[in-house]
Amino acid sequence: MSDAPDAEPRLPPLLAPPVARLLADPAALADAVARFGSPLHLLFPAVFHDNLDRFRAVLDAGRMQYRICYAHKANRAAAFVAAAHDRGIGIDVASAGELDSALAAGFTPDRIEVTGPKGLPLLHRLAAAGVTVNVDNLWELEQLGSTGVARVPVLLRLSGFDPARPAGRFGIDLADADIALRAIAAGSTVELRGVAFHLDSGDVGERVAALAGCLSVLERAYRLGLRPGVVNVGGGFRQAFSADPVRFQRYLRALLAGLNGDGPALGWPGHTFGFHQRAGRYGGVPSFHKYGNDIGGAAMLADLLDAPLDGRPVAATLREALLELWLEPGKALLDGAGITVATVEFTKRLRDGTTLVNLDISRDTITPADQEVMLDPVVVHRRLAAEHTGPARVFFGGRLCLERDMVARHLVALPRLPLPGDLVVFVNTAAYQMDLSAAQALWHPLPRKIVVTERDNGFEMTADEPAARG
Amino acid sequence: MLYRHITELIGGTPLLRLDPAVHGVAGVELYAKLESANPFGSVKDRVALAMVDGTLDAMRAAGQTLVEASSGNTAKALRILGAMSGVELRAYTNRVRVGEVRDLLALLGADVRELPGLSECPDPTAPNDVFSVIGDLLDSSPGKFVHTSQYTNEANIEAHYRGTGREIADDLADAHGGRVDVLIGGLGTTGSTRGAAGYLRERNPDLRTVGVVSERSDFIPGIRSAAEMWDVGLFRPDFYDEIRPVESAAAIDGSLELALRHGILAGPTSGATYVAAKSYLAELDPRPGRVAVFIVCDRLEPYLSYYRKRRPELFGHSAAAPPGAAELAAAPTVDVDTLAAALADTLVVDVRGGMAYRVGHIPGAINIRDDCLDEMLTGAMPFPASTRVVFVCAVGEISARFAALLARACLPGAGLRGGILAWRDAGLPLETS
Repeated sequence: MSDAPDAEPRLPPLLAPPVARLLADPAALADAVARFGSPLHLLFPAVFHDNLDRFRAVLDAGRMQYRICYAHKANRAAAFVAAAHDRGIGIDVASAGELDSALAAGFTPDRIEVTGPKGLPLLHRLAAAGVTVNVDNLWELEQLGSTGVARVPVLLRLSGFDPARPAGRFGIDLADADIALRAIAAGSTVELRGVAFHLDSGDVGERVAALAGCLSVLERAYRLGLRPGVVNVGGGFRQAFSADPVRFQRYLRALLAGLNGDGPALGWPGHTFGFHQRAGRYGGVPSFHKYGNDIGGAAMLADLLDAPLDGRPVAATLREALLELWLEPGKALLDGAGITVATVEFTKRLRDGTTLVNLDISRDTITPADQEVMLDPVVVHRRLAAEHTGPARVFFGGRLCLERDMVARHLVALPRLPLPGDLVVFVNTAAYQMDLSAAQALWHPLPRKIVVTERDNGFEMTADEPAARG
Repeated sequence: MLYRHITELIGGTPLLRLDPAVHGVAGVELYAKLESANPFGSVKDRVALAMVDGTLDAMRAAGQTLVEASSGNTAKALRILGAMSGVELRAYTNRVRVGEVRDLLALLGADVRELPGLSECPDPTAPNDVFSVIGDLLDSSPGKFVHTSQYTNEANIEAHYRGTGREIADDLADAHGGRVDVLIGGLGTTGSTRGAAGYLRERNPDLRTVGVVSERSDFIPGIRSAAEMWDVGLFRPDFYDEIRPVESAAAIDGSLELALRHGILAGPTSGATYVAAKSYLAELDPRPGRVAVFIVCDRLEPYLSYYRKRRPELFGHSAAAPPGAAELAAAPTVDVDTLAAALADTLVVDVRGGMAYRVGHIPGAINIRDDCLDEMLTGAMPFPASTRVVFVCAVGEISARFAALLARACLPGAGLRGGILAWRDAGLPLETS
């Protein structure tokens, strides 16, 4: 494993096998664009199934009682909701629209969990619907307790496990948990099914600490005569993005060197990627650090189940207490399960020599909450051109007339300069990237979502349509 | 030998030639630089001294505190040096993963602050790593803290250049004219390899340097994995001929070989370095008289929990073999209704964890966690011959083992068939604590 010097700054992405096979088939992609237009999101339910298999294998190996709730919020597509329903797992919805989507796909209320901030109209609907409500705050609990519906099943989302961490805005603080428990014990309109938390860091130690906090609240509930049986560890299980974390890291150092004037600039002027500035120099960990990860969510779950809690692995502690583990993976189930295909509209050379390749997408088509996507796209050249056959380093620009609409604010090194009509494929975009920030400004329609199924004789492609609403 | 101050013992560590018949790499003279022989037990003693030497009195006078990103050997050395001069240490780290190291720092009175993990959706304006947190601390209390900054402090490299590197060359002056062909060391701050190789390269421009990192599947204390070398300010990837990852299992094997075949008591990181050295050297085209040196960075003893977790079989408690399948199948059991009827005359031992027991247990049951009970049973049986003992676990699997052990000792014991789950499902009462 030699760290041989390589002049090109690369960020090679991991490709799920069905995606790799599609990209290796020049006709298949061209056919998709010809039929459905450009830009396009392509969805691969087979990859969802593989990811789910990995999660199940870990949970079965731990001999857990469990429920996996697919976090719908990671992608609007019906295809993934259908895949989750077909596998008999649960679903986690975070809005009235997502609840409609789940019901339309055939989920019954006993398999639906509702998370996130909720207002009064939604709460009334949920109380009547028979779904499990993951309660964010004491007001919500109070509202659910006074709808007139008996025995609304709830989980209490808890937070504040680590005083060293700044208080987030979700969940009931540990200090208020007793108020919630006593309110539930005093009435009979709410049934406490269990407790929940959600962390977005990959640190196992933090999750174990959160679990310990949850278990102590559960104990207090039992002492009040309540009988919760569920611990919900939420989501935040990581995606495996990078095919080469060492090269990711080398790119990162080069990017930093550019910011500090120690090397050529690799970033679009004015952007600092979340690095921290101190005494005029940039350092620290950038906001896109997750793209250097190559260890998937199931492996993280395995680490959690194996971590020591109360003198034995977490899995054993939960099993012995006869608790059922719930989890809400969204991005981890969609890891590698979608790609976004864009077309090169034109290329342009700027005054300072920078090469700009303009695409028929905007930054928000693939970038969630402005977090830079640090993975090289795959370029599919449509025709062989005599000119421009050398390697190129380019910035990808977006279709909006805003300076900030750069699809990539970092330099991408390519073997050949893309030409108008070439396809640029951004990989692993199904988890939040396609939908979280997508906008329809300037009358640009949202890209269609196309479901890809591999058959013996090729790739079957159908538009993703939500199931008919009742 | 007479010394007047413990710091005089820092550096000047032995260079040990390893028996070729044991290390087995043909044509190579392999030496171990025993940094573990430093007075506080590790290679970091040099770095700590280099970073604070001559400044501690002034720091004490100014009421300043040392701050460093370390939870291990550097923190230990800085704490000791600082304490001797009346200067406190605050150490920041991500979670401390080796229990003995944490305990030792606590015993020595170091102020260790553990930081939470990195968020996947970070707030770009909030500090998110050890170095930013330290930076913010320095900014918010100007002049109060001195950051030794081992990851960027050139004194780190300098200490190894004029110390480690020079000593190796001097010790090999007679045998090899001070020439080293290959240097192998672990990559933490990378100071030891960069400093020592820097010196040795001046004497032999063809010196090859090999950096050892951990495989990502598990950690090896004190060194990073290949993907974690970011933000190590001293790291120069092009400085090394090769960066070699080693798995923790191989590191453990390596350290046990160092101990039992060479007499070197060194920790898993040195084991990793030894393993990487041998495999790298074995791959080179043989050339007689090749001289290689690897760095033994610290001692074995602080890592017993690390070994115990990964090689529990090496720490066997009882001489007796655990009950086999036949014994388990034959172990006496009792069903929930029988137990319920005989509760007053039975000693019920719940072998689950504390939380499970507290949440709900059979009325009158006591709680002895299974791992604690295992330890107790290595001695004499603590159970009476006059009273039936019934073991209870979640579903009846673990309790079978203890029923079998009591059967071996001819004591009246049984496991509850179906465990607590069966008791609960039968609607029988559970009490809470």
